[in-house]
Amino acid sequence: MSTTARRVSLLVGLPSLFFLAFFLAPMTVVALASLTDASGNLTFVNYARILLDQYHWDVLWVTFRIGAITTIACVLIGYPLAWYLVRIVDWRPWRRVCVILLIVPLFTSNIVRSFGWMVLLGRNGLVNDSLQTLGLIERPIRFIGIELGIVIGLVYILLPFIVLAVGNSVADVDPSLEQASADLGARPATTFWTVTFPLCLPGLMAGAVMVFMLAVSAYVTPALLSGGRITVFSMLIFQQYSSVFDFNYGGALSITMLVLTLVLVATAGRVGATKGA
Amino acid sequence: MKHSSYLAAFVLCSTALTQPAYAQSQSITVGWYGGNWGDAFRACVAEPFTKATGISVSAEIGTSTVTLSKLQQQKGSPTIDVAWMDGGISELALAADVVDNLDAGAISNLSNALPESVYKSGSTTYAVSTGYYSLGLTYNTKEVKEAPTSWNDLWKKEFEDTVTIPSPSNSAGVPFIMFLSQIWSVPEGDLSETFKKIKDLKAALFFDSSGAATNAFQSGEAVIGAHFNVGAWDMADKGLPIGFVVPKEGAWATDARLHLVKGTSKKEAAQKFINQALTPESSACLAEKLYLGPSVKGVQVKADVARKLPWGEKGSVKDLKLFDWVNINEQRSKIVDTWNREIARK
Repeated sequence: MSTTARRVSLLVGLPSLFFLAFFLAPMTVVALASLTDASGNLTFVNYARILLDQYHWDVLWVTFRIGAITTIACVLIGYPLAWYLVRIVDWRPWRRVCVILLIVPLFTSNIVRSFGWMVLLGRNGLVNDSLQTLGLIERPIRFIGIELGIVIGLVYILLPFIVLAVGNSVADVDPSLEQASADLGARPATTFWTVTFPLCLPGLMAGAVMVFMLAVSAYVTPALLSGGRITVFSMLIFQQYSSVFDFNYGGALSITMLVLTLVLVATAGRVGATKGA
Repeated sequence: MKHSSYLAAFVLCSTALTQPAYAQSQSITVGWYGGNWGDAFRACVAEPFTKATGISVSAEIGTSTVTLSKLQQQKGSPTIDVAWMDGGISELALAADVVDNLDAGAISNLSNALPESVYKSGSTTYAVSTGYYSLGLTYNTKEVKEAPTSWNDLWKKEFEDTVTIPSPSNSAGVPFIMFLSQIWSVPEGDLSETFKKIKDLKAALFFDSSGAATNAFQSGEAVIGAHFNVGAWDMADKGLPIGFVVPKEGAWATDARLHLVKGTSKKEAAQKFINQALTPESSACLAEKLYLGPSVKGVQVKADVARKLPWGEKGSVKDLKLFDWVNINEQRSKIVDTWNREIARK
């Protein structure tokens, strides 16, 4: 009994220690910095500077808009893709190849992949070249430095997360439920919308939340693909830490972002839960 | 009982293993940058140092800012003995009280350095330069037939949407804005005129990292703009059609500096390392590998290297616009903020 207890405490204790040391402790440092001024006195000036300034709200709006569009695009592309992989592909080796193709990019750094998109989307890049050869456009379209460019980069990087989350929940749907629905006279579309899709919702929501969080907190992809013309919130944070060295204001920016993102996700979760029920 | 005998055995074993090793070879830890910079520092300074003294060098790789924050966290018992940090960060390191005085008695080659390369604050020598690099006009020689001569050429109609300059997230961003203000005679107290002109610039992108600038020139996204001589010539050496000129208004420049970390337990070895970096051989080697303008007096380099140095073909350190970093650091927060509101926003 005592050995079991010891094992359990070890199993729980080690991850908790890890969490404390590498997550909670740095977070506390940031939070404390955000509540103090340069000489260490307690103050709310840093937060006032952010929240009372329309500029920061504008940047937040841009950040969350890019995050939302990325999430919607990921859902629209990811859901059918997951469906294809789980329900349509019969031949196992092909399914494996597809999954590997989906996951392999995750092994490459974001920086490299964003550089790749800079080349593809550039003035002389593959995308503009092809569009011009096809005669669809006369002058190169500018992708770098507009929100569309950032969204393309983010969707590419975040798509695997939603496909894997949705894929699991599609695979978990019991086919007999769909058969029962068909037996009772429902058309395939009705079965899908009333039986299958609601059953996949938890997976879809989990994937969407993950994508949204990663999209609003992304730094490298927006920094490179914005061409320095669009500012998202993570770039403001990075600037304070890397270039201005104001860790107090930077800390306050980080906490603001964290709290607002959590609030948004919690709200979305609640909305999702009511829909699913 | 059992435990203590284990412990004793362990202590014995570990002393047996580490003791002779410790006696044989000493080592120091040097903080330097990644990529071709780190490679050059190793080849030009660390290797000759180890050869001469038998002291091995382990590298702690990071950008200047990262090194500074490490030093701040390790204050009192540092694990880094010598650190390279760029101009600007060097002054912040002094203010943070993490760097020690460079003693001319212990570092005899300090007298080899150019007078402007030895950085003093009161009676403390807090840093010494190991080479200069500049932010000059870089252009694609295929698309720009006639070499540009002025920074104002970036505003020419023919270069619309193909220009790149650094953003304030880059270490050169803030000083570059002050440099432009100076050549346009905009008063330092009110930079609104400078920002107005930058707003008119039809830029392809504002780069955060010099890697992003290199990428933009490589892919043809940028045809002309500001880039470091180190990065520009690196591209040219790889066969890309890239040219680099110091315009008639001059080029803003800064340097990579060496610092002795305060509180290091290996002060003597660290001083010897800095001494090695200030030899004409090491300085010439850095000039050849990175095109850093030598900070050591009388260093001779090959003609092909000389034209790639930060001051251009015929210049010298006198032609570089080296700004007072303390002044730049004071304006930093305001300039970044104005840039965010005026430029980095559609």
